Amino acid sequence: MKKLLYIIVIALFFFLVLAPLLSIFIGSFIKNGHFSIENYARIFTGKTLNLLLFSILLAATVSLASTTIGGLIAFFVVKTDVTFRNSFKFLLLIPLFLSPYIIAVSWVDFFVLLGVGTDFIYSPAGVVFVLSFIFAPLSMLVISSGLTNISSGLEEAGLMMTSRFKTILKIILPLIKPSIITSLILVFVLSISEFSVPAFLSVNVFVTEIFVQFSAFYRHEAAVANSLVLISMCVFLLMLEKFYLADAPFLTVSSKAQRIKITELNRCKIPVVFFLAGYLTISVIIPIVVLIIQAFQTGAAALGKALKLLAPTIAGSIFYAGVGALLLVLFGFVFAWMTEREKIRPINTILLFVFGVPSTVLGIALIKFFNTPVLSGIYTSFGIIIFGYLGRFIFIVEKLIANALKQIPDSFDESAQMMGAGFFVRLRKILLPLVLPALFGAFVIGFLLCLAELGTTILVYPPGVSVMPIKVYTIMANAPQGLTSAMSLVVLMITFAGLALLFVGYRFLNGWTKKRCSF
Amino acid sequence: MPILSLKNISKYYGPTPVLKNLSLNVSTGHFMCLLGSSGSGKTTLLRLIAGLENLDDGEIIINEKLCSKGRSILIPPANRDIGFIFQDLALWPHMTVFENIAFGLKVQKAPNIKSTIEETLEFLGISDQTKKYPSQLSGGQQQLVAIARSLVLNPKILVMDEPLANLDVKLKSKIRNQIKELTKKFAVTIVYVTHDHREAFLLADDIAVIHQGNIKAIGTPDEIKKSDDEDVRAFIEF
Repeated sequence: MKKLLYIIVIALFFFLVLAPLLSIFIGSFIKNGHFSIENYARIFTGKTLNLLLFSILLAATVSLASTTIGGLIAFFVVKTDVTFRNSFKFLLLIPLFLSPYIIAVSWVDFFVLLGVGTDFIYSPAGVVFVLSFIFAPLSMLVISSGLTNISSGLEEAGLMMTSRFKTILKIILPLIKPSIITSLILVFVLSISEFSVPAFLSVNVFVTEIFVQFSAFYRHEAAVANSLVLISMCVFLLMLEKFYLADAPFLTVSSKAQRIKITELNRCKIPVVFFLAGYLTISVIIPIVVLIIQAFQTGAAALGKALKLLAPTIAGSIFYAGVGALLLVLFGFVFAWMTEREKIRPINTILLFVFGVPSTVLGIALIKFFNTPVLSGIYTSFGIIIFGYLGRFIFIVEKLIANALKQIPDSFDESAQMMGAGFFVRLRKILLPLVLPALFGAFVIGFLLCLAELGTTILVYPPGVSVMPIKVYTIMANAPQGLTSAMSLVVLMITFAGLALLFVGYRFLNGWTKKRCSF
Repeated sequence: MPILSLKNISKYYGPTPVLKNLSLNVSTGHFMCLLGSSGSGKTTLLRLIAGLENLDDGEIIINEKLCSKGRSILIPPANRDIGFIFQDLALWPHMTVFENIAFGLKVQKAPNIKSTIEETLEFLGISDQTKKYPSQLSGGQQQLVAIARSLVLNPKILVMDEPLANLDVKLKSKIRNQIKELTKKFAVTIVYVTHDHREAFLLADDIAVIHQGNIKAIGTPDEIKKSDDEDVRAFIEF
């Protein structure tokens, strides 16, 4: 029964996500029915190669900036006694859950309001600026996990022999090196695959070029070949860091309490609070405030119009994101179980590979695979959007659930097994109640990610189906800035409602479990 | 006739041998201690007996039934008539004491669940703790609940993996006595893993000293004390 479940889940995932990806790779080597590498030869011509190198440079800069900022913040909120550390920990994560294009819109608004012109923001430097704010919370999360896992004993042993500064340099930094590398690679892969921000800020990068090749020039094979270069690069990097990524406790929803050494800031406390408050203002408060100012610049008219334009898409977006999140949790749970409990490690590698696929490439793969007479039922339904969500976010959701499963001792399951409880009884009575907070967290995070997804959805959404990010993105080019801001504000409010749900629900469930769980 | 018989069993983790051609018989109703240092293969041996892991070679016979042979598990853990006390006790934190103990009885569709649990808890002196969650109990009470949870299922053999490892000296002594009483009352055969030779001498009818995946010496506590094997002496005199 258990094996049948595994086979069904793997077969479904293969059909819905892997088969489309494999088919475009194979297709990119075929020209006029014969094997050909012509599509690949084109990549290494001057223009495409320059664009590739430019995109790598851009992503590397974002990766470095995010990891530096995120690392510094992680140190302050995890390892020091800074005032309001728990509030900072939560509030500084907010940009991670917002649609990247909304943050881009708000920064354009900011420069417009400031009256200094928009040359900076509509430039590669502007893309780096916006993406660094978007991905710094991810770096913070990854490095926080690394810092939390350092036992106070290791640090105190260092302090017995040398200064605090040297302890940080010689003990803490080497210990969190895996987290730093994970952050660098994760942010690099996400930045080089990011579509909406460069597209909105009119900066041509490799991933937008793939979109243009596919949508504007209909050069499908060339687009796929370009994609393959990008995928190969991302997958190579991810594989390189597979061991770090596979075990890095990033995005841990609940974690074992580890006694960690807290550094007293003393006289530095106020400057650090100012630094964190300043960063919070720049990364969270300013984008929201400028969106509000721009949206209400002409009274409530823009907001009214934005609501009217978005109204037909709100229910659909929430429904698709809800179904997507549910599917992500179901697949994520089974995959997490297979990797953590059954030790079927190749699952990790496959999910890493899918994670390395840029959003637009996944969109192309889904279109080319399902746009056939036999599978057109999927191609013309909202199902194709959901499968896009599945491919995009399964790695993240699986990791969230796997980290929770990792914390439940095998003996909990084995003792029930010794008493004769079957797999499904053990699942229902023992494991599911214990991972409930993590499943809920994974569902809400999956929901927010699906709600914000643009890169794949913009390619696959069928006629008659529309979602909020598509509506905002397609209107952006021609609508007044105020209307774009108002629409972004509406999306933001819905996202905040989701975040509030996450916060309240998670606190409730976590409190419930913590009261009982001392393992 | 031994209730548990291990015949030439071997177990490898990758290329590393954990147990090498080990044989052991445990008589019905006896308290057998497996004594050895960390990494000697004691816990692996218990897990093999319970059927939680496959052998690489050899046979395990429980109550005259061939349970494991070579790499095959012929009888699954639940059908071996074995209770297992894990080192971390594995009390399910989201269930009350009552629910923890009732779980196995419900799975096995046992009659009179409520009265069985009440009687057992009464005997253990923790009948007032039924509605509490494991995290609300003391270390010693958790220990007793874990033992009760296994014993209510009337196993023929109870295997215990260093159950006293996390207790302080005073509590250890108290729980040790309770374990002795319990095993007599329930007339169950015990296979008990420990690295503490004093504990083994106090509890066991028989002791098997395990060293580097094999049995170095076997006998009553007095016989082990008199052993002239160098490894055994080094271990018990430490």
